[in-house]
Parts: sequence; structure tokens; C-alpha cells
Amino acid sequence: MDVVDQLGSVREGKLSRRAFTRGLLSAGVAMATVPAGTRRAMAAAEDQASYFTWGGYDIPELFVPYQEKHGELPNFSIFGGSEEALTKMRGGFVVDVSHPCNSGMPRWVKTGLFQPIDTSRLSNWPDVIPELVDLPGNQADGGKIWMTPFDWGQTSVTYRTDLFELEGDESWDMLWDKRYTGRLGSLASGGDAWWCGAIKAGVPMSDIATDEAFEKIAAVMREQRPLIRVYTDDTTTLEQALSSGEMAAAMTWNSSATLLQSEGVPVKFANPKEGALTWVCGLMVHKDAPNLDRAYDVIDSLLSVDSGKFMINDYGYGHSNAKSFNEFDAETLANLGLSKNPADVLEAGHFQIPQSQEWETRMNETFEQIKAGF
Amino acid sequence: MAETSLSQAKADPTPYKGSRLGGLLHRNETLRGYLLMSPTMVIMTVGILVPFIILLVMSFWTREGFGFDTTLTTTNYQRVWTEPIFGALLSRSFWISGVATVATVLLCYPMAYYVAFHVHRNKMMWIILMTLPFWTSYLLRVFAWKVILGYEGVINSGLMSLGLIEAPLEFLLYSQTAVIITLAHAWAAFAILPLYVSLEKIDKSLLEAATDLGDGPVTRFLRITLPLSMPGVIAASFLIFIPTTGDYITPALLGGPDGAMIGNFIQLQFGAVNNWPMGATLSIVLMLWISAIALVFLFVTRKAQEKIA
Amino acid sequence: MSGTYIKRPNRPLQIYAVIFLIVLYTPVLFIPMFSFNDSLYVRFPLQGFTLQWYGELWTREPVWNALWNSIKVGVVVSLISTLLGVVAARAITRYRMPGKSALVTFIMMPLVIPGIIFGVALLVLMSRMGVPLSLYTVTVGHLIVCLPFAVATLLPRFEGFDPSMEEASADLGENGWWTFWRVTFPMVFPGVIASMLLTFTISFDEFIMAFFLTGTDPTLPMYIWGQLRFPQEFPSVLALSSLILFVSFALVFVAQRIGRVGLEDEL
Repeated sequence: MDVVDQLGSVREGKLSRRAFTRGLLSAGVAMATVPAGTRRAMAAAEDQASYFTWGGYDIPELFVPYQEKHGELPNFSIFGGSEEALTKMRGGFVVDVSHPCNSGMPRWVKTGLFQPIDTSRLSNWPDVIPELVDLPGNQADGGKIWMTPFDWGQTSVTYRTDLFELEGDESWDMLWDKRYTGRLGSLASGGDAWWCGAIKAGVPMSDIATDEAFEKIAAVMREQRPLIRVYTDDTTTLEQALSSGEMAAAMTWNSSATLLQSEGVPVKFANPKEGALTWVCGLMVHKDAPNLDRAYDVIDSLLSVDSGKFMINDYGYGHSNAKSFNEFDAETLANLGLSKNPADVLEAGHFQIPQSQEWETRMNETFEQIKAGF
Repeated sequence: MAETSLSQAKADPTPYKGSRLGGLLHRNETLRGYLLMSPTMVIMTVGILVPFIILLVMSFWTREGFGFDTTLTTTNYQRVWTEPIFGALLSRSFWISGVATVATVLLCYPMAYYVAFHVHRNKMMWIILMTLPFWTSYLLRVFAWKVILGYEGVINSGLMSLGLIEAPLEFLLYSQTAVIITLAHAWAAFAILPLYVSLEKIDKSLLEAATDLGDGPVTRFLRITLPLSMPGVIAASFLIFIPTTGDYITPALLGGPDGAMIGNFIQLQFGAVNNWPMGATLSIVLMLWISAIALVFLFVTRKAQEKIA
Repeated sequence: MSGTYIKRPNRPLQIYAVIFLIVLYTPVLFIPMFSFNDSLYVRFPLQGFTLQWYGELWTREPVWNALWNSIKVGVVVSLISTLLGVVAARAITRYRMPGKSALVTFIMMPLVIPGIIFGVALLVLMSRMGVPLSLYTVTVGHLIVCLPFAVATLLPRFEGFDPSMEEASADLGENGWWTFWRVTFPMVFPGVIASMLLTFTISFDEFIMAFFLTGTDPTLPMYIWGQLRFPQEFPSVLALSSLILFVSFALVFVAQRIGRVGLEDEL
């Protein structure tokens, strides 16, 4: 109210010096106290571990045990693709826990920005499915590991059963179908799209680094580009477009299909005849993690059965805790495209193979140029 | 202003007996001025000049694995010159910004004209009303346009319920059109203010004189109002064209594959593509192009004005 | 405003002005409208009225953290940029300095240079100096963006006031600081308040610099950007955006009113 009063008096030219000084004094006091209060609040927030992750993982449902222990959520930062995340961290961005996937993990380790994880500090570790831990490049010295697995799933085609007219089996060809020009969508990150392109082009994952593979995949991606309405890292955009009928089919992860189905939208997460792209993502700890103890609490919280149930039920992802699956019967899991035995799903599709940094940059550069129309 | 400084200079040497430094400062107007300016200038130098120099240096580096190869080379500039994608993205950015600028100035001119000549009371309210949306979050305004232009957005669902269209218009979103509309809307305030100021400055007696000499409204506008408001038009064009060429939020949210601009590519170099030196090079090239275009534009308008005068 | 020139109202122009204002405001007003809509997805027809999204907002810890971050940065930025703006505006209007116009142009540069270039340049600087990204780096970025606005808001204030008052004070034997404090400052006070409110709002809403310079603590716009990827959060984001829009509008409106008090004659 002070401001308004002063405003009035200033306008009438009546503001006396004394009134002005008084106003100034109170404004000064107000401002002096704001930073003090802020500092206190900031201290509280800074004590929490920081978690650098994909959009959608920054929610209380995944941090029930953590919140019980520390009373607050961790601090979150969000990235759109794992390469973006690595670049940011190499630029000096320090967090406690980050969320890469199996294909990037060896490269992440190589940057020297991460420390091995002592699994004995995790209460949920005994329940973690061993196949998911046993990934190439995951073993560190002293029985430690670099990345604790957390979620696993597929990248495939989500399509509208009422709008997309299937010709034969479900297939990656659906995203190259000229009948639906301008009504197809794709994830923008090469970390997904390029690999799906490899499946479509018939390039085996083991050959993906060859020059020939590059040419083949690039050709396939160029062919697809005019059909795509939008490339985006933003799953909301794809989900909204599918829900409104703006898109008939799009490349998505499990969660988009599950979320849309729970909203009553007639969609299906395809099981393409060529096989879907499969991946395991997990958690790594920064070498300079400022809150190491709480970093372990973040990981433990994510590995808990509570989080697992949410991941399976609400997002349709696989979880790394074997006990999470006990809550679901085989049929429910099959409908979600999951299984208690991850190998069933991961090996049925094309599992991503880690590549060199040179490959990664070359791939991203090529894909960005293709997306821009070149 | 000039008067202020003169009278001040005259009045100055008289009172005052402070420390020697104080005395010196008091006597030397210029020094005092610079001293007062210095904190601001230090911040601006640290915040603008130094980063620019580093950016310039980095543009001559190259990427090497995880780090940079710091030997100076013009490789990046050669790539920008030879690979067609960069030229195409640049010209697309200039095209989109150019159209948006022209559209904004054309649409805002009548508005500024109206307030300058036809509003006689509460002009301040009008100015505030017209510039208010500009101060609100750019991200949110762009985001709002996504809601409007969307497939089931405001325009499409409105037109469909009126029975004017059968199926939603798809070209509204994820197109250059969407980017242009959004930019024109978002930068309207930057056009209105300079236009208004230049129109308001016009001596009304000139207009009356023209009327007395028998000019109709159109001739009067063309002979007097328009030429005299040209400085405003030029300022508005600059204020919109230059910043929008580097925009990346609008194309990222609304542009779709064909609406990507150079700003998106610069941002990618610092993100997914992970080639900082290339990003630095693209930023420098963008700056150079902007400067060149600005100079040409200034030159042409000045010539044109000379001709009119 | 002497003449009799065009006293007659111009109908078509009037209609144009009204349409212009409607088009200017409508896009932004759809955000609050959908924030009360009882559906996860933003589309017509509206599904019914709900306050659920605002309620959800209330319980979301990250929103409050981000809000705090934005307020902290905004307050610091508005104080520093206004202080620097005051000294700069005073120096510019009060003293004869060679190269003054070049200095002013330099300060105003951030107004016309694409934000991405500043963001990128500062990011490169920070990373070369080994400064970790944090709210401090965002603050520096915002300072660069806000300074021109502070100076632009304060300049007319300093230009507009009558130097004879200062002279009178000096003649009465008051020293320089006392004169400034007792005479000059009260006169430019409305400008100072306006500048603080405006720079706070700019910083509060700023996205481009924050995009490149944010560390682990997101500002509110950065938080929103992150949430755009996440459908269940979408309506809450709309609710949050509506609140931000409301606050921004209110602050700027007050700032503009105060900033122009006494300058009305010039308009």
C-alpha cells in the first residue's frame, strides 16, 4: 500500500522530504531483510542432493523414501537428451546424480567426471536385477560399478488405432508411410532417432559405426524428413499431437503410450516386426558430488519398490528392482510390453551398443543437418 | 543539456574545500563524469567485451574429442562459407526476421499514428496499454501462440465450430508462418514506441500549412507525415530485425523442421552437437552479417531521405 | 498540442486501434483461461471449471524453489542495475564527457544484439574461467540485459529535472553528496522505483540468458521450460504461467505509472 500512497503524493507534488525519507527507510529495511530470509531458504535447498535427469523424473512419486528421510525433494535439473547433458556437465555443471543410458555410459565414464558407486551403501541393491548391471563397460575397480540401472524400456512407434490404417504387421515402415505425410512425429535426439533409422535401414547395431552404415542411415533419415510434422525432445508435444489426431503415429518411449491410454486415447505402442529399440538407463554419481551421502539416498530412492511400482504402472517402463514386478500379473506386464525378466524384452529388440565420442558427434552433426533439411 | 553543463561549469570552481583529490575531482568535470560512469562501464566491459573477445578467439579453434584444439585456424569459417546449410539457415533467418519486421512496422504504424494524432487525453495510458504485454515473459507469449495456432487450438477449433473449415488448418503450426506471426506479435512494442515518438515530434503546424496549401489527407501524409516519421520507422526496423534474427525459442517451439533458424543451430552447437568453436564461429558470422545489413540499410535510407529532401 | 488539426475523430483508425489492442492481448489471455480448464490437454471445447491445477501448484516443492531462485536473482539484479543506472544516468546528464554518445551506445547494445549471442559468449567466458554455472552466473547475465533498461528508464528523469535546484543547494553550502541526497535523489525517486520494478520484472521473466547460464537451481522460466516436456504437469504450468503473467502485468503497470509521473507533459 505504501507504494500506492507515495505514488499518489508524488503525483500531487506533495511528497515531503520527511515522508520520502521515511518511505525510503522502510524500503531499505524491507530490502535488507529480503536477502537475509533468502539466504536461509537457500541454505535449506542447497543441502539437498541435485539430480540431473530427463523431464518427467522430477516428481515426488519417485522420491518417497528420500522425502521421508530428508523432508524435502532433491533439487532437479532437466535435460532433453543425454548428449546435451554430458556437454553441460563438461562445461562445468556439477550435480550429484545424473541419468545416462547404456549406450552413453562408457563415454560418460571416459570423461573422468564420475566416480564409481559403492553398491554396499544401497539398501535396495540386493533386489536389483543382475542382467541390468552386467553391461559392457560398467565394471569399475574394487567391485564397484559406474552406473546403477534404474529404468529400461523401448523406443518404438505409438500410433492411433483409429487413424492409422495398418498394412500388414506393425513395422518401422509406419513412420515412413507417405500416406501420412505431415502426420508423423519423431523424437529429436539422435540418441533415439538415429538408432531407429538403423533398424529401418536394416543396419545391424554392431555395424552402426561403419561409413557404409552412416550413408545408409542418413539416406533413410532424409527420406523420412519431409514426412515429419515435428522433431521434438518434448514428449508432451508428441502426446498432445497424438491425442488430438494431429499425428497418426510418432516415435516415442513407453511412457507416452501408457499415459495416452490412461487418458482414454485409442493408441497402441507398436511391436514392430523388425524389433524395437531397447535401452537401459541408470544413475551415475559426479566425481565432485557436493552431497555424496544424499546422492546415494537419491539412487536408493529411485531403486525402491515404491518408485518401481510407479514407473511400471504410470509410465509403462521397466524397473531395475525385481520386487517391483511382484505387484503386477503377467498379463498386465505383457500389455505394457514388459516382462519380469528384462532379457526377454531387451533381447527381442535391438539393444543399443556404446559408441565412441567421434561417432557420437559425427552422428549428431549429420542428424541435425538432415533435420534442418540438408 | 548543453545549458546545464555550461552553467554548472561556471558555478563550480567557487565553494568547496575538501581533500586534494576531492578538489581535483570537483574541478575536473570530465573526470568526475568518467568516475561516475566507471562502475557501469566495468560491468558492461566484463559482461560484453571480454566474453566477445573470448568468443572471437574460440571461433578460430576446433573441436577435438572432449576438448578443444587451440591452434588458430580458419577451418570453421571455411566450413560456414562452403557448406550450403549455414548459408541457407542464415538467409532463412534473415527472411523470417525481415518479413516479421516489415509486418510489425506496417501493423504498428497506424496504431502509433492514432495515438500521436487522434488521442488527446490519457496518452500515457495508451502507451502503457500497448507496451504492457511486451514486459511479460517472452517464453510464455511464444507458448501462448502455440496454444492458439495448434491443431486443435483456438483458431482451428473456432473456425471449425463456425463451419468455415472441415479439417484443422495444419500450416498454422510448425511453419515459418507461425514463427513470423509470433515474432510480429511479440515485438510490437519495439515498433510502437519509436514510431510514436517520431510521429509525436512532428510539428502540427506543418500539417496545417499543407492543408492550407490544398493538400488532401493522402498527399499530406505522403509529403509530410511519412518522411518526417522515417527516423522512427528506421529505429523500429532495427530494434526488431536485429534481435529476432538470433531468436531460437520461437522457431524451436513453433517452427517445425522448416522453420529452424540460425539461432537453433548455434544453440545445438553448444548442446547436442557439442562443437563450441563452431557455435562461436556461427555467432560471430551472424554478428558480422547483422552489422553489414544494418549498414546497408542505413546507407540506403539515408540516400532515400536525401532524395526526398 | 496547439492546432485545430484533425479534431474530428477518425472512425476507421479508432476501430483499428481497438482490434489492435484485442489482438495484442488475446494470445496471452488464453493461458489463464485454460488454467481453469478441467482437462490435461489444452484444446477446445473447455471441459469445465476447476481450481485443481492451482491447488496442485501449491504442494509442489520445486515450484517454490524455482520461485525463490527467481526472486533472489530478480531482487539482486534490480538493486544493482538500478544503482548502476542511477550513477550512469547522472554522469551522462550532468557532465561533459568526450565520447559520451559512444558510451551510451555501448550501454544500450544489449537491447539490439540477439540474446543468444550474449548467452553463448558469457557461457564461454564462465567455462574458460572455470566458474561453475549457478544463480550467480544467471545474475551476471541478467545484469547485462537489465542495465540498458535501467539507464533508459532513468535518463529522462535526470534530463527532466531543473539543475538550478542543485545549484541553489550548493550555493547554500551543502556538500555534493548532501545535495545529491536531499535535492537530486527525491526528484528522480519515481524513476528509481520504476527502474527497480522494471528490471525485476525483466529478470523474473528472462529466459534466453538463463537457458545458457543456469546451474542446478532453475529460475522459474527455466522450470517451466523443463515442465513443458511433461504432460501431467502441463495444466499446473498453465496455472503457474497465469500467476506469473498477473504479477508481471501488475508490476510493470505500477512501474510505468510511477516512471512517467511528472513526465506527462513530454508525452
